[in-house]
Amino acid sequence: MLGIDTQRPHAFLAFTALVAGLMLLPLVMRPIIAADICVFAIAAMALNLIFGYTGMLSFGQATFFGMGAYVSALLMIHASANLYLALLAGTLAGAVTAAVVGYLCLQRVGIYFIMLTFAFNQLFYFLAYKWTGLTGGDDGLPGVPRPPVTFGTLRLPLDTSVTYYVFVAVVFFLVFYVMKRLVESPLGMICQAIRENPERAAAVGYHVKRYQWLVFTIAGAFSGLAGVLYAMMYGIVPIEAIFWVTSGDIVFMVLIGGIGNLYGPLIGAVVLRWLSETLSVLWHRWPLLSGTFLIIVVLFLRGGCVEVLERGRELLARLDMRRKEAGYGVAADGETDEKF
Amino acid sequence: MEIEHEETDAFMNVALLATALLNGVVTGMIYALLGIGLSLVLGLLNIPNFAHGVLYALGAYFLISMAQAWLGFWGSMLLAPFGVAALGGLIEYAGVRRLYGVHPDYILLLTFGLALVLTEVIVLIWGPVGITVLPPPILAGGVDLGVTFYPKYRLALMVVTLVLVLATWLFIEKTKYGAIIRAGIEDRDMVNALGINIRRVFTVTFATGAGLAGLAGALVAPVRGLLPTMGIEILPFAFVVVVVGGLGSLPGAILGGLLVGVVQSLMTAMWAPGADIVVFAAMALVLLLQPQGLLGKR
Repeated sequence: MLGIDTQRPHAFLAFTALVAGLMLLPLVMRPIIAADICVFAIAAMALNLIFGYTGMLSFGQATFFGMGAYVSALLMIHASANLYLALLAGTLAGAVTAAVVGYLCLQRVGIYFIMLTFAFNQLFYFLAYKWTGLTGGDDGLPGVPRPPVTFGTLRLPLDTSVTYYVFVAVVFFLVFYVMKRLVESPLGMICQAIRENPERAAAVGYHVKRYQWLVFTIAGAFSGLAGVLYAMMYGIVPIEAIFWVTSGDIVFMVLIGGIGNLYGPLIGAVVLRWLSETLSVLWHRWPLLSGTFLIIVVLFLRGGCVEVLERGRELLARLDMRRKEAGYGVAADGETDEKF
Repeated sequence: MEIEHEETDAFMNVALLATALLNGVVTGMIYALLGIGLSLVLGLLNIPNFAHGVLYALGAYFLISMAQAWLGFWGSMLLAPFGVAALGGLIEYAGVRRLYGVHPDYILLLTFGLALVLTEVIVLIWGPVGITVLPPPILAGGVDLGVTFYPKYRLALMVVTLVLVLATWLFIEKTKYGAIIRAGIEDRDMVNALGINIRRVFTVTFATGAGLAGLAGALVAPVRGLLPTMGIEILPFAFVVVVVGGLGSLPGAILGGLLVGVVQSLMTAMWAPGADIVVFAAMALVLLLQPQGLLGKR
């Protein structure tokens, strides 16, 4: 069922937890925040595909996210496009932009590639910022509708935040499924080979750049899709949608959730949104906190939340051992952890 | 009457063009200073320093605080870059150094986090509003250059940055320490094996790069004024300078800086909204035609 291997209890458990989590999410927080989490989780999954599975860190994912948002919003506002057309157009906008930007950025490898994705993000930001007639510039592009889901004669409006959450959660679930299949497909395997050792992948006969370009474009498509959902969610496309800080947030979600793990992006999105929701009450300047967290994660917790769980289990095991040792009257000496 | 009108128009155009060109050179030299620092750190430590922009901003903010507190304009101008260099050294020593063993992406993310935090720290200390800085009285006002009337401070800035850029170049090319840095860029393990403390060279290089960024920020303060986001705004341009000029090439950084500065300034004079866009389009063109940059070898 759904390509989930019931023979492997771990995978099945994780999958059940995902479905349960998606159902619980709108109960423990405002549905619109839950929808927001799913939208960013899609964008983070897209980055995870290229960063976590192919080893290319892109610092410009907001480019494709923003393009998807703007293109679909303009179509819905000026051409009253229906839901499917908007989703399709935004996804295509993300894919086409990513194909062009990716082609140029892939002229360089490694850190120069990262710098280029960042620089092109700025180019598109300036475009959106200066082209006020089309995008509203700094004020944002307001008046984005939420067209209903139509299915033959069936018509499901998405006007409440609960129905919108359900819609976004279903899209998220589909994207998750596609990602899972993608990562486990031969293409996904080639990507992971490229991540581990590009030279060897090339030596085996794979055209590394062509695969990187393909994956970058696919990730751009998913980012564009997330952008469409984002625009419909708030009824406005703020300039922040295409700003580099959003790119940074997406990177942060992948990092904090755990790189190269299918569930990582969702965990990262939950943690980041939860942090920003609760902490912005205490402190309204969010970048200071997110920056601090980023530094802490990079210096001490590079495995993200997945590693936190591992460490917690290790710590419990060690405490348990110490208790036993103390019970036998043996002094527990400071065992140093040189693992990282 | 008609002809006279045309003549004044033509004269006006020449004056505008000359001003735009001079402005472009001023901006270009600032870009060159930034690009050299970025290129040094990139070449030796293999990291694109995302905190480079905010260090540039801090140079300007250190300048005004020092000038207000106890030093005059000149004293602060001398000292502010060293303050930023010290901060850069600290960042390398306390943070970046811990990550040399792991993937370079993490160092990049660390500098990105620092860029966010330091920008907010600027807002906390100096406030979110822009601040204007006056040039010292001796450099206030302008000079008549024949074709156009141009501010004295900017002319002085051009000369000073030219001297600084040449001095940095000589330091890298002609001194023993510069030779060590160049050798480190080529093969850091070999330098280490030869008995040179490469870790210390890393710290010094990072501090030098930060100091150059701080210097650029302090120098440009009386021209552009201060804004907490000034660092974040200039960072992509510094990246473009390094990519266009050629990675790890100092002459490349200078050429790239001047090119970007002049193109941006001329475009601003002709069609302002397109100025920044043209810079990035030019970068795309260079990448397509000459992927290693104009003067890059790698």
